[in-house]
Amino acid sequence: MTEEHSDQEHQDQIYLQPIPVRIWHWLNAFGIVTLAVSGAQIRFPEYISLLGSYKSAIYLHNTAGFVVAISFSLWFFYYTFVARTMANLYVPRVDDLKSGILRQAKFYFLTYFLGWENPHHPTPDSKFNPMQKSVYLAIMFVMMPLVSLSGIFLTNVDPLRGLIVMVGGLKLLAGLHFLLACSLIAFLPTHIYLATLGRTPTEHIKTMWTGWEDEEEGHGEESTNADLVTSR
Amino acid sequence: MNRNFKYNRLWLPLLIVALWLPLSASAMEMDDCLGCHSDSDMVGDELVIDEGKFTETVHAEMGCVTCHESVTEEHPDDGEAVSNSSCLDCHEELGDEYMATSHADNATCSDCHNPHQVHGLNTVSGPDMNAQCFQCHEGPDVMDSHAEWLPQASLHITKVPCITCHTAAEGYDIVLNITQKQDKLKGYRFSSHADLKEYSGEKEISRLIDIDGDSHISLTELRTFNLNPAYSELELGGTLVPNEMSHNLSTLDNRYDCTFCHAAGPGSMQTSFLALPSEDGLYQRLTVEEGAILDTLYGTPNFYMTGSTRSASMNIIGLIIICGGFIMPIGHGTLRFLTRKNRKH
Repeated sequence: MTEEHSDQEHQDQIYLQPIPVRIWHWLNAFGIVTLAVSGAQIRFPEYISLLGSYKSAIYLHNTAGFVVAISFSLWFFYYTFVARTMANLYVPRVDDLKSGILRQAKFYFLTYFLGWENPHHPTPDSKFNPMQKSVYLAIMFVMMPLVSLSGIFLTNVDPLRGLIVMVGGLKLLAGLHFLLACSLIAFLPTHIYLATLGRTPTEHIKTMWTGWEDEEEGHGEESTNADLVTSR
Repeated sequence: MNRNFKYNRLWLPLLIVALWLPLSASAMEMDDCLGCHSDSDMVGDELVIDEGKFTETVHAEMGCVTCHESVTEEHPDDGEAVSNSSCLDCHEELGDEYMATSHADNATCSDCHNPHQVHGLNTVSGPDMNAQCFQCHEGPDVMDSHAEWLPQASLHITKVPCITCHTAAEGYDIVLNITQKQDKLKGYRFSSHADLKEYSGEKEISRLIDIDGDSHISLTELRTFNLNPAYSELELGGTLVPNEMSHNLSTLDNRYDCTFCHAAGPGSMQTSFLALPSEDGLYQRLTVEEGAILDTLYGTPNFYMTGSTRSASMNIIGLIIICGGFIMPIGHGTLRFLTRKNRKH
């Protein structure tokens, strides 16, 4: 960690990921991997026993779910009330939907291979490209809340039975939880792979650890380091 | 040949008479006994027998004097004390098993089983089974001691009879019961015969689910029942009941490990029964189609046991989704590797 930064040290860098975001990200990452492994043991106990007894897998799964829910709240609270950039970061604008997504897809699936520049240049106020915005919107505002909510229901079957029957039954809930979990797990390899598409394979990963990202030439005008340091 | 034939013809009526005599005698005796003992005004609360419940037991088939041998024709005028035979005279094996447990120091057979009302496992509901246990073990204590180590203790205790875990039975049966909504806070309770009669009307209550009346519940019949909006207040609840009688009430280690039920895999979930309440409060089991419990959504929408009732089709969909997550890294990664020279500036 290079937290001992001075303005001089980060002259050509932008502070892209503030501490709360990084804490949330790694807690979330660790939590989701734990949930995936313990969830696999809970579903296939006769084949998987990585975490010891069935009961320990259940306790770990419940605890990891709790940690992820807490870190989700931290993320939500930070972006909504502290940074106040939630809508700006996560909700695609009209031009993102009209042309941005297409432009970004064209980059990933065509011009990237030709060696062209990424058309999106991340700044703290616009960290995500239009494709990222749409995917993260679906993940953070639809899938994560649904998987957490179904998890809360499944850990409280007896007290919430009336509600569970009302939403269609335990099997529907367990099926939804499982398929959402599979979708989130499927996102992991894609997410990790896309994280290696920076100028160097580890650039984005380092940023998520230190918070700082190297500024691209000619794209740092709108947010200077001085602004960013004082705004922290 | 002829002589043999005559011999046979002579013995046949004798045999019938010989068989009929003790049966009729015992039936008469039981009626005689119940003539007084079914009326508490005549014999008092301690000696009264609930005739309706007693006549449904296996013990009733043996007649009263089989257990109360000393009763004479002159009873009660002869002043003779009535003898009670020991349960262990017949239930020797179960008795030996029970006498070896610490329960035997605290409760005799009749503390848990009223011999004039006792029924086999297949004809009683889970709550009826637990009623014996709750005579001594108080609900809140049971809940607290289980909550110390058992995930979702209240769910386990309300759904699974005590003897499913506290028994030496090596297997269990899945039994479905029709339950119905009480008021909002109380959740669901077992439907009685009278409750279900309100839904079935003139028809037998079994016809609510067993549409074709073949005394076997198919997956299609289960789905039809579960999707029928007229039965929206009814729910099929599932439970696990030991598949053999055992009186070893200790808890086996595999029950603590949850593996006994939860790591049993879908193979153990093939066989199940539907238990329907009769007018006399007992239950009658109907067989359910093999594997119906594992139906993805509508077979038994509210019977789900993690680890065991997973649906194979759901697993395949999940696997496809996860594999989909590797398309980008593998496909894009390959093209990225092949075109790496284009990005060297």
